[in-house]
Amino acid sequence: MINKKSHGAQLTAWGWPAVLIVIAALFSATPAPATTLAELVAGAKKEGVLHGQWGENSFGGSEGFKEIIEGMNKKYKLDLKGQYTPGPDMQRLMLRIVQEAAAGQPASTDVYLGNAQAMLDALNAKVLSPMTFNAFIEDKPKPDGKFNAIAADGTHVAVATAVVGIEYNTDLVKGADIPRRMNDVLNPKWKGKIASTPYAAGMREFATPDFLGREKMVEFTKKLSKQIGGLMRCGEAERITSGEFLMLVFTCGGNDVNVLKRTGAPIGHTVIEEGTVLHMRYAAIPKNSRSPNAGALLIDYLMTPEGQSLLWKHDGLDLHLFPGSQTKRELDKVRAAKGKIIINSPEWLASFKDYSKIQKELETILRQGAK
Amino acid sequence: MLGRPASGLPGGSYMRPAVLRLPAIFHGRSLTSPALLSLALIPMAVILILVVVMFWVSLQQGAFGTPSSVYTLGNYREVFTDPFIYVVVTNTLVFTISATFFALLFGLPIAWLAERTTIPGKTLIYALMTLGLLIPGIYTAMGWTMIAHPRIGILNRWLMELFDLSEGPINIATPIGMGFVQGLSLAALAFILTAQMFRAINPTLEEAARVHGMGYAKILRRVTLPLARPGILAAMIYILTIGIATFDIPAILGLGNRVYMLSTFIYLKVHPQGSGLPQYGITGVVGAFMILLAGLLTLWYGQVLRQAHRFQVVTGKGYKPALLPLGAWSIAAWAFIIAFAFMSKVVPFLLIAYAALTPYFVPPSFAMMRRLSLAHFYNMDWELVLRGLTNTAILVTVVPVAVLLSGFSLSWLIVRSRSRLRYALEFGAFLPHALPEVILAIGALLLSLFVLGRTIPLYGSVWLIAIVYIVARLAFATRALNGSLLQIHRELEEAAFVAGLSTIRTVWRVLFPLLRPTLFSVWIWTALLVYRELTVAVFLTVQDNITLPAVIWSYWYGGTLNKASAVTLLMTVVLAPLILLFWWFGRRSNVSLN
Repeated sequence: MINKKSHGAQLTAWGWPAVLIVIAALFSATPAPATTLAELVAGAKKEGVLHGQWGENSFGGSEGFKEIIEGMNKKYKLDLKGQYTPGPDMQRLMLRIVQEAAAGQPASTDVYLGNAQAMLDALNAKVLSPMTFNAFIEDKPKPDGKFNAIAADGTHVAVATAVVGIEYNTDLVKGADIPRRMNDVLNPKWKGKIASTPYAAGMREFATPDFLGREKMVEFTKKLSKQIGGLMRCGEAERITSGEFLMLVFTCGGNDVNVLKRTGAPIGHTVIEEGTVLHMRYAAIPKNSRSPNAGALLIDYLMTPEGQSLLWKHDGLDLHLFPGSQTKRELDKVRAAKGKIIINSPEWLASFKDYSKIQKELETILRQGAK
Repeated sequence: MLGRPASGLPGGSYMRPAVLRLPAIFHGRSLTSPALLSLALIPMAVILILVVVMFWVSLQQGAFGTPSSVYTLGNYREVFTDPFIYVVVTNTLVFTISATFFALLFGLPIAWLAERTTIPGKTLIYALMTLGLLIPGIYTAMGWTMIAHPRIGILNRWLMELFDLSEGPINIATPIGMGFVQGLSLAALAFILTAQMFRAINPTLEEAARVHGMGYAKILRRVTLPLARPGILAAMIYILTIGIATFDIPAILGLGNRVYMLSTFIYLKVHPQGSGLPQYGITGVVGAFMILLAGLLTLWYGQVLRQAHRFQVVTGKGYKPALLPLGAWSIAAWAFIIAFAFMSKVVPFLLIAYAALTPYFVPPSFAMMRRLSLAHFYNMDWELVLRGLTNTAILVTVVPVAVLLSGFSLSWLIVRSRSRLRYALEFGAFLPHALPEVILAIGALLLSLFVLGRTIPLYGSVWLIAIVYIVARLAFATRALNGSLLQIHRELEEAAFVAGLSTIRTVWRVLFPLLRPTLFSVWIWTALLVYRELTVAVFLTVQDNITLPAVIWSYWYGGTLNKASAVTLLMTVVLAPLILLFWWFGRRSNVSLN
């Protein structure tokens, strides 16, 4: 390996392009960011169009986006046009934005909606535009301990909360069979009939010192890997309703179950007694956004009661920090059962230096089986 | 007579000036006709650039496109020392051989029936084989999940009840099982690759055999199949390489069941579902090995080509195919075709229709039938669907024409030239086929982002997708056209040159009319393959350049299977009459030609 550290020379593949990008950025005329809601609305009006891209199963997809734009137009008296394109998963989309920024291309989406891991990647790559969200958002949620929904540097805002647990087919897993504790899923009767995610959702957070620790989770994951019949992604709830798998251990959040249940689908979601992880959903403006004001206005709208209501309607989640939140009610039950709750935020992830290593270890065990 | 000195031709002094206008390729000196040469070489240049990009990528680690990326041989070390890669390669081999076997098992006999027998309803056979292409591979895979999944498969449930078994005896999620499903999906390609070859076989040899008292079975074994051998071998090599590179069926059936192929292995490296950066470098290494594999397969194909002159059977004189009377055997033949259509097309299509009309996905039941509705159509994002349709229409219009022009130019140079350069062209034309489309797409993506940048703004445009499609489909066109050109004797072109026609006019007046069925089938199959192509679009789609299959994939990937089914149903229903119309024209064209 030719390494710049070992050889002293700055042998990087993208040294010159990076320099050119910096020079281009210095000479480009960037308008001053809006500091008040009125300026933001005026800026959005000028931009006229908002391009949105995220997974179809996130934030209500195309239907959710359409209603959000309609809601924004009504609330802020705008005639904003929205163009939504279903995109890849949250991490992949963020990596794409990072690449687009490095190449001097506009971002695929004017406003990014995603999870804590993607947000951490974005912060490391410095591709988010700091905005004065504290000045825009009228109904600011109260912090939960050290966790604050609006990042101090204005780069991102937590707009919703997904609660990690186990998804199951309610026709095939009933009554006492519904897992209450983590080890319940290791019952031999489920062998070959349950699934996990290829990215060890939930388990990676349970493996942190704040929760159950690495040793315990590696041991559990090895057992689970022998127990599962396959892997599925979060959001593929049809594989549970169809009976292909009876359970998903663990989910990225029970929000899609909340939506699917309304159609009468045989699906349920349970939180284990050990506790849960809150997968926060974040919104942010990429530096290479074509409509940063319209994007920031969307974030502002999502933090209003109307926006929260649309998130609940289309994605089965809202922000647990708001007093009337549906997710808060679910969490109150977990708290009453004395289950541990941890909040997965980019700051929390950044505090564990071995987090990525543990995650890779668990992913390998799940993908290749516990050999 | 071919390639001999001009003096060897009859006609004395009058013929001499015309003979001098023979293209130099016939004498192994140089390639002439700048127009044909350009059409052949431009895509070759694109392929070369993509290959260079791939090698360049294989030497980098870190966040590609950022200053943290470093040059290293670590990717090669990582691939070589990872024991998991050997499991993946073994799975891929078993899967590929199975897929090729099953594709030929169904495609070859149906092609023979359609072209060499008097079986009734040939238009319907073509329509069945073509319409099947509109059904994305993901649905064939899902259909077979419903049939042969150990737990929810209807067939397994039935066998479990019949033999009182505790679990289903059939598991489709094995390399052989997946190969079977892939084979069903590829049978249509095997059909089209061999149909035009069966169509072009000279019947006089079969008739001669019949005159000498050979039965039909013996004629098939001793005359027809040996004549068809180059075409069958070419189809086999082509399908083998598809098997190695294919993505959709291994993704649906394999990923979730932890059975990995090379394509899904690459996908996981590029799509880190969780931690880590995309490992483009690993895909570059795998791509480098694919080039070696493509080289070996091309050498093999070259052997077939070199022996192929023995099979030149269509000449300017007495080209009149005769058909084998099937009689009552037509019923058995149709039973075979219907069984194939049911397994590969009808079941997946019914599944699509069912999923498009249900609120959520569960195995079909009477209870669920009462809940069917058009809700997914009412709630469809029509702006998105129309955007996808517009881009797809652009691609379907532009790509097949470009593929035909370049493919013909390449084939003509490869088959007719005696220059050593033809091996390079042959290799270059075959290369994109042997490379997983994922790799071509990644090459194009990185090229457009970091090399072309804003100088040539291809990133996020439909033209970037078009370029990759043209390159990727070139192998298909050259395979089909090579086979047909081989069976057109050079004496026809020589006669045209002698009569004073230029190269372009010879192509237009002599070769194109004779090749019309092949050109038509290449055009329509390219259009259909472009219409349903997914892998490249998934990697290159940004916002404005989304295609209809990418819309379907995005819905499916996003867990909204029912919406994906609704769009698929729509796109199939809208296009079905057009396909039937195309084939009606196609068949008419054949009849007039014959």
